[in-house]
Amino acid sequence: MNKYQLYRLLRKNENLKERRHPMFDKNRFMKFLLIFMWLYYAAILIFLGVTMAIGLKGAYNGVAAHHVFDGWFPIVLMVDFWIRFIMQDTPVNQAKPYTLLPIRRSFLMNVYLIRSGFSLGNLYWGFMLIPFGLIAIAVPFGWISFIGWLFGWWLLCIANGFCYLFVRTLLTKHMAWLILPVIIHGAIIAAMIVPEHSWLDMPCTLLLNGFANWKIVYILAVFAVIAILYYANFLLQNSMVYNEISKKEEVEVKNTAKMSYLNRYGRIGEYMKLEVRMKIRNKTPKMQFVMGIGFMLFFSLMMYFTDAYSGGFMKSFICLYNYIFLGVTTLIGIMCHEGNYIDGLMSRRESIYQLLRAKYYFNSFLLIIPPIIMLPLMISGKMSVWMNLGYLFFTVGVLYPILFQLAVYNKDTFPLNQKITGKQGNATQQIISFVILFVPIGVEKLATLLLGDPWGYILLMCSGIIGVATHKLWIKNIYQRFMVRRYVNMEGFRATRNS
Amino acid sequence: MNIIIQNLKKNFGEKVAVNIDSFKINSGEILGLVGNNGAGKSTLFRLILDLIKADEGTVHMMDNTRDINVAETEEWKDWTGAYVDDSFLIDYLTPDEYFQFIARISGKDPNELEQFLEKFKHFMADEIIGQKKFIRNLSAGNKQKVGIMAAMLLQPQILILDEPFNFLDPSSQSAIKHLLKKYNEETNATILVSSHNLQHTVDICPRIALLEHGVIIRDIDNKEGQAQAELEDYFEIND
Repeated sequence: MNKYQLYRLLRKNENLKERRHPMFDKNRFMKFLLIFMWLYYAAILIFLGVTMAIGLKGAYNGVAAHHVFDGWFPIVLMVDFWIRFIMQDTPVNQAKPYTLLPIRRSFLMNVYLIRSGFSLGNLYWGFMLIPFGLIAIAVPFGWISFIGWLFGWWLLCIANGFCYLFVRTLLTKHMAWLILPVIIHGAIIAAMIVPEHSWLDMPCTLLLNGFANWKIVYILAVFAVIAILYYANFLLQNSMVYNEISKKEEVEVKNTAKMSYLNRYGRIGEYMKLEVRMKIRNKTPKMQFVMGIGFMLFFSLMMYFTDAYSGGFMKSFICLYNYIFLGVTTLIGIMCHEGNYIDGLMSRRESIYQLLRAKYYFNSFLLIIPPIIMLPLMISGKMSVWMNLGYLFFTVGVLYPILFQLAVYNKDTFPLNQKITGKQGNATQQIISFVILFVPIGVEKLATLLLGDPWGYILLMCSGIIGVATHKLWIKNIYQRFMVRRYVNMEGFRATRNS
Repeated sequence: MNIIIQNLKKNFGEKVAVNIDSFKINSGEILGLVGNNGAGKSTLFRLILDLIKADEGTVHMMDNTRDINVAETEEWKDWTGAYVDDSFLIDYLTPDEYFQFIARISGKDPNELEQFLEKFKHFMADEIIGQKKFIRNLSAGNKQKVGIMAAMLLQPQILILDEPFNFLDPSSQSAIKHLLKKYNEETNATILVSSHNLQHTVDICPRIALLEHGVIIRDIDNKEGQAQAELEDYFEIND
């Protein structure tokens, strides 16, 4: 078998892996939802591309729309970077099944690096860039400029993809590496919004203008960056392969706190201990928690030190986001981690009911974190106390009950102890998280518009208090519906365990 | 506690996994379940434990005062202990924590747990309790021990163990045989054990059911250990 045939074989296996994933293999609805979401986001990008091309035209003293847009390209690349965590696996993981076969390791690494780095996913931004470029560049400056500009964007996405692969591979070594992109992205954002005129505006515009004018120096410079990133990735992935194969978890347990203060709550207390231990002893939930706190801090600090998020919508969004983020990341996959030991739970009487209640209390308890983080914002008057109270109660009494409904329908097991999960939720979960993140702002705006401040927030609080007061009822209802669906769910959990 | 199986059917696609017209496991009996791979042993256990849905038929647990269809209520879970595979284990707990968890949610006090662990001291061989290791970091044999012990912890009237001798070293295999026999004698619990190890099955089970393609094709009386020859003949061990 020559190298090309081997490459084709590896590619075929990867395609089969995706096609035969248990989540989609037998689920037409899931396939439909996936396609729907894909088209939905594409439509949003097209809409953004068109509106920005029209909106930015002449908006800044005659500066061309694409020059304004290009000044913000680091933001697009940052979004692109974080979205990749949902979609893209590392070459090390992809190559792992083949490492003990008689295939050269360097060949494997090259195959998967090329597949990852030059994947079609890099073209997804085209849904925004092509309509934007057609209106803002092709029409006034010609097709050659448009193609050059688009080519430049594609190269930048590829370079960004290699940056992501590098960080993600480092993350398999230690979670602390997450700080690296957070610091870099934080610094970039600071350089863009802290000074009166963005420090990056001009260099970014010049770079992409260079592509639009087909300036060879710029093209070669980006090629050189891609080559360096490729080589750095190659070295890192290569060194990580053996670590992955011979990966041995640290076996000595450091934290064996008995949490005896929870004993007073009887069985619920035991399930709460389980919840706490799941969070602190498994990499995926721990990572979600740390990321949540990190984002909360980041946005709150940005709001505190700058006027970047001083608009009404952004204030509401950040306040809601801080309250709901930990809940969304955890509860969107409610029961999915338990899928790993669902048979054990189901062989104990009413264990799911007790578990759901424990989850509710635990997640509600975590809501003491956001007001602590946002306390400086409240003291400085940048965010109102009423807004905080409104969203706090709305989260615990309205949004949590909505998220808990997923306990009835979730049936895919999420791995507990992969450093970053390969399964970040299906389309239903994505739709619910989207609804949870945006609908409450509409409710808040409507309530404050109709009733005025603070009565709108008081309304949010009251609706939340009703949810809290009736929590045993709606949790019981969820449990009963779960039990009706138990066979379907258990089958799903078993089918997706270790997949 | 009797287990009554009636007209129980489970298919996976075209494949018949379980097809049992009628079968009764008597209270206080140790029943061995044997059969080739794919015969339906684990599926039958999962059906008894209501972990998968039967296409047809019922499983009842019954004594003089109660008659419970396992698919209709959870009451039976109070007196049934089971270990089928590691999806019964919460692997990010240490064995100590796991036993405490099971004990507390089953209403056992710490003294009862201590006494229970004392009984299993020899079986655990200083490799399970106080080791400061998560269950996921234990060897397959020690995980098996934790699962078996957790199933027995609430002193069930019905105990179901799927291939309990797997992964265990010879002395642990011997120990678990004695523990199961003793437990049965002391509590008169109904015990169901599946195994590929004919010798162990014959040693501890006075009654053995032979499963083939989901059907119980033989119900063998083994009170005097007479099943050995019949099973060896069926599995063609001497050829």
